[in-house]
Amino acid sequence: MKKRTLALAMAAIMGLTTACSGGGQTQQSAAAPAKEAEKTAGEATGGQSGEGGSGEAVTIKIANYALLEAGYDEFWGNVKTGFEEKYPNVTIEWVTAPYGEILNQVINMAGGGDMVDCIFSEMIWIPALVDAGLAAPMEEILDADFLNDYYPNILEAHSVDGQVYGAPLYVSPFVLFYNKDLLEQAGLDPSAPPKSYDELLEIAPKLAELKTADGNPVYPFGQPTASVIVIGSSLQAFAQNFGGTVFDSDGTFNVDNQGFKEAMEMLKKLDELGYNPQNCKPKDLRNLFALGQLAMYYDNTWGFNGAKSINPEVVNFAATALPLSGGQGAGDTTLQSHCFVAVNNGPERAEAVKNFIQYVISPEILNDYIANIAPAYPAKAAMESMEAVTGSEFLKGGQDAVEKAVAVYQFPTLSDFNLELCALGQAVTVGKEPVEDAIENFKSAVQPLLP
Amino acid sequence: MNNTGGKGLLKNRHTADKLFSLILLLPAIITTIVFILIPVADSIYRSFFDYRVRNIISGQPGTWNNFANYIKLFTGGKLVPSMVNTLVFVFGVVIAQFIFGMALALILNTNMKASRFIRSIMMIPWVVPTIISGLVWIWMFQPQYGLVKYLVGLVTGGRITDFAILNNPATAMFGVSCAALWKQIPLGTLLLLAGLANVPDDMLEAAKIDGANVVQRFFKITMPYMKSVIKVTVSMSIIENFKQFPLFWTMTGGGPNNSTTTMAILSYREAFVSNNFGSGAAVTTMWMLMMIAVVLVYNRIFKKDEL
Repeated sequence: MKKRTLALAMAAIMGLTTACSGGGQTQQSAAAPAKEAEKTAGEATGGQSGEGGSGEAVTIKIANYALLEAGYDEFWGNVKTGFEEKYPNVTIEWVTAPYGEILNQVINMAGGGDMVDCIFSEMIWIPALVDAGLAAPMEEILDADFLNDYYPNILEAHSVDGQVYGAPLYVSPFVLFYNKDLLEQAGLDPSAPPKSYDELLEIAPKLAELKTADGNPVYPFGQPTASVIVIGSSLQAFAQNFGGTVFDSDGTFNVDNQGFKEAMEMLKKLDELGYNPQNCKPKDLRNLFALGQLAMYYDNTWGFNGAKSINPEVVNFAATALPLSGGQGAGDTTLQSHCFVAVNNGPERAEAVKNFIQYVISPEILNDYIANIAPAYPAKAAMESMEAVTGSEFLKGGQDAVEKAVAVYQFPTLSDFNLELCALGQAVTVGKEPVEDAIENFKSAVQPLLP
Repeated sequence: MNNTGGKGLLKNRHTADKLFSLILLLPAIITTIVFILIPVADSIYRSFFDYRVRNIISGQPGTWNNFANYIKLFTGGKLVPSMVNTLVFVFGVVIAQFIFGMALALILNTNMKASRFIRSIMMIPWVVPTIISGLVWIWMFQPQYGLVKYLVGLVTGGRITDFAILNNPATAMFGVSCAALWKQIPLGTLLLLAGLANVPDDMLEAAKIDGANVVQRFFKITMPYMKSVIKVTVSMSIIENFKQFPLFWTMTGGGPNNSTTTMAILSYREAFVSNNFGSGAAVTTMWMLMMIAVVLVYNRIFKKDEL
């Protein structure tokens, strides 16, 4: 009986201590400083708002994966400092998660009733955020003159059902990165990269004969096909090079066109000839490019930063060129961007988000970023004369591709659709499947995903 | 009268014991109901609805969609390959883990030098987070400058220069299995080593005197005495590998050409890439049924001849 009483008493004590030491207190203690900070900010500004609107202390939550990535954290830290100095009544609270998880983080938080106010997003995440009911139309958030300053094709690329949901900081099509030194070593003109896939196939044998200083082989060309969502967009761009489309202009799924088939045949041919390193991610290609093992490959211009972080010497041999043309295509491509997506959490927070977006997307803030961290093309007229853009030799080669870039059709299951495109790319390369069979399999695989 | 009073007292004590047991079990019962049974029932329920992210955010219930999630699953052509991939991975890794784990445990159970040291460092892979393990193995398997490619080139005298295990649909599953084994063998070894300590030395000694050889002693004495430990070890391994997701997602993303798309990958893609929780729940339900079937068969096999 004594033992039983003792056991009961112990169980009760355990229960009590667990209850008392639980998350409630942690949550409270975490929430308390935030409230205190808001109160302090309000008191400190004495109700003055600077340029920040009503003067009420406002905290905005901004989801940003880039804070966890080396090379970008300092820029975003400076953005926070600068913005909070300019708008003293607004406090930025970062919400971070790795690149692959940030979208789920935002959605999970929203599911729990905790909505972020703004997301630093990939363009291809927009439809998922719209479908989730999180993204607010930019017309509701931004000033009309700020929004109207964007180039029309860029606004179209950030639209779902005619509404603009993304405010791009900068854009980049998939352009051709090439290694001038390797072209020279192969006896080619380093200032004249190939313009078409036929020209590529002509010079590729010479490039494939090269070896690096430590005896590693050199690949002539790189087109990623690994299972990563953004690679699906890259494959759409690859098809576009041949004039191939995945969706008609009215949004109807259609891959029964010559350009799409020719693109897949070229992908297969490049694989069979051993010219394209198999099943790579963009970061694999950046690595090979930085180490002098890849003569040319497709990437967004900001991928340059990834290559530079592996080998700073990249700045001496890397250049960009327009995407190659194939078949009846004119070398068109698709557009990518890093953009802000806003969540409308009431007028005060929406006002703060507007100020934040318009603060960041300005030549003053982005010039150094584009010059030193992530080279890219401007998305709006006010930024086209930025020194970082006009003075960049690296960006010049691929610049004309921006105007020719086609918007990727945006629909809620685009991410999964893109993974199926990757599977198609893998089927014709590492899977050794005939192109026509692989396309038929692809068509049936994506049926449940079509809008 | 005394007899009746004694019975009553006994009955009261019996009831009090039962009540006391119930009170002690109550936390476990509540936890199981709240954190396991209700979510499982909720997941099955939602698998019959069109239930997306916007439903969660807006607080609106899902819409009944006439078994569309299951129809899509059974007609989409992905379910069967994913089930096969899952079973191939689970059985491959569980069997290999048991064989390697047992071999290591037997070696470490001898009085070899440095066995304590080896036991300690052996646990390192087990404490490394799974995602980190996946990233390490990706680098080792990297086809252009990976360690494995270098070693294969060295062993084959430079004849094989194009060794890309994760890029080939025929070998990618083997590549992920290697990473899983590297991580899981240490725990299996440790558990089996603990089981070996329960095998009585006098029985082994007696068998030896009676002329039993090493193999006979292992299968007739060691294994039967370890049966309960083996059962737990293998059960844990089956469950661990059935739910294996991070290694696949990190190393292959389900590719190349869907050759490593398991039920875990399929459910993640449905629920969190397509943001369709109803469809994801349908995959999870099938996944759970498959796991229940495997565990039932497994328990039946082990139940046949208990020690």
